[in-house]
Amino acid sequence: MKPSISRRQLGAALAAVLPAAAQAQQAQQAPTSGESDKAMEQLRNNSKALGEYKLPMSTEPAFTFKP
Amino acid sequence: MPAAIPDDYCFLTIAELNRKWRDKEFSAQELAKAWCDRLEKFGPRYNALALPAREQAIKKAKRADDELKRGRLHGPLQGIPFGAKDLLATDGEPTTWGARPFAGQVFDFDATALKKLEKAGAILIGKLSMVELAGGGGYRFPAASLQGPGLNPWDRTRWSGGSSSGSGAAVAAGLAAFALGSETWGSIMNPSAYCGVTGLRPTYGLVSRHGAMALSWTMDKIGALCRSAEDCGIVLQAIAGSDDADPGSAGKSFYYTPQYTRKISDLKIGYSPVDFNETVESGMRADFLAALEVFRAMGAKLVETKLPAMPYGATASTIIAAEAASIFEPIIQDGRVNQLADQKQIAGLKAGLEIAAKDYLKAMRIRRLVQEAMGKVFVDVDVLLSPSAFKVAPKISEPLDNPSPVPGSGINRPDSIGKGLRDLGAAGNLAGLPALSLPCGFAGGMPIGLSLVSRPFNENLILALGVEFQKRTDWHRRHPKL
Repeated sequence: MKPSISRRQLGAALAAVLPAAAQAQQAQQAPTSGESDKAMEQLRNNSKALGEYKLPMSTEPAFTFKP
Repeated sequence: MPAAIPDDYCFLTIAELNRKWRDKEFSAQELAKAWCDRLEKFGPRYNALALPAREQAIKKAKRADDELKRGRLHGPLQGIPFGAKDLLATDGEPTTWGARPFAGQVFDFDATALKKLEKAGAILIGKLSMVELAGGGGYRFPAASLQGPGLNPWDRTRWSGGSSSGSGAAVAAGLAAFALGSETWGSIMNPSAYCGVTGLRPTYGLVSRHGAMALSWTMDKIGALCRSAEDCGIVLQAIAGSDDADPGSAGKSFYYTPQYTRKISDLKIGYSPVDFNETVESGMRADFLAALEVFRAMGAKLVETKLPAMPYGATASTIIAAEAASIFEPIIQDGRVNQLADQKQIAGLKAGLEIAAKDYLKAMRIRRLVQEAMGKVFVDVDVLLSPSAFKVAPKISEPLDNPSPVPGSGINRPDSIGKGLRDLGAAGNLAGLPALSLPCGFAGGMPIGLSLVSRPFNENLILALGVEFQKRTDWHRRHPKL
């Protein structure tokens, strides 16, 4: 049996419906402050580790990155 | 599979399948139908299937059969069914990136890697699940995916790895002959090791990322999870190549010619005994040490080596977090990021917007030195050898950021400076180096894997070693009972 709607139509329909449905859940799913604190702490730890590593002033960033 | 195609055929290599098809043992249509049945039946069992592609697969298979009748043969991928991680765009189909905010996303073009595989005659039978947004914000639980936690075919209570979770599970369970995945930091090596399949992370820029979700412009790579090293070479030859649509493209092609690499007896393989004797879980040691002996028996010289002390983890984490936050800024700003499944991922992406320019630039400057340092490492050795993961696949209920890190996976991002080659995952990805993960044994019934890493664009060398290793072992031939 052939499907009555195309996959493209199905995708478009989902795109319209899912954000609205999920919006209702957003308030419950926002991260707790503890989770946000941990994420910020991780950034600070990374920043500290990078800061402690001494580089020659002449070192340029890897732009554009080429292996 | 239908009676015409025995079940064990779904664990054959690409070359073996293609030979049987050319010998008219079965048609490409029979093969595609059988494999679609299998993927649709077992894919959901492992939360591996994101979207079936049966209708198009049968059409393409018919084309392959017609070409065979006319004697138009394109090479070993013709008529071979495969799956693709759901971060690769397919024209007119949902491409979800494993994430609820993008559940209805539809592109009007195919990703370059998929176009190249189609040109080679391979047949896409389905899109495969992945960790949401490839886990760029970090994630605490394997359930961080639109399809639910990737379940391991060797033990469904355990994770299939990430972020190419469905690709690893589908190849291990024989639901596709091979699968495309992607790696920013560990996302091919990790599921390859956990699922007992052979995975190749190509050199940065060798495979076009046009049509692939961007997580980190300077670190994303597209690669393949396969049944053997030879299969990885065959797939890489098809998907590699210059692409003006990818600003990171290296403008290079790849020809799979392992026979023209240096003799194995001339090679020096660098490894660190600490990795194998101390860092890995005790149950993994015997098979890892036996694998080292296989490389010795092949004639390669194993020499002890170590990585220079650098903050690999902090550098990779900062680059990925900053680039990912910039890429996903629209959904962070409008709140759709809160639809993601994993709280840590949401918090990580939001925090990424706070990274100071000085930190991102410092990380990119250190990265330049990492590249130079890795170049020097490869003056003394030709290849580095290290466990792909230092633990077997964790239980799906187990938090991934518990105190036992998974080096190379990008999951816990330990910033240990020093011991052994445990930072090779971060270092290799920062320097854009190719890597091959080979199944090399079992611990407690779960597969383990070994990584070979070499200089940029030196894929043929690690593939040659992988092929020889797999001639001498049968770990890659083992598969789980479904």
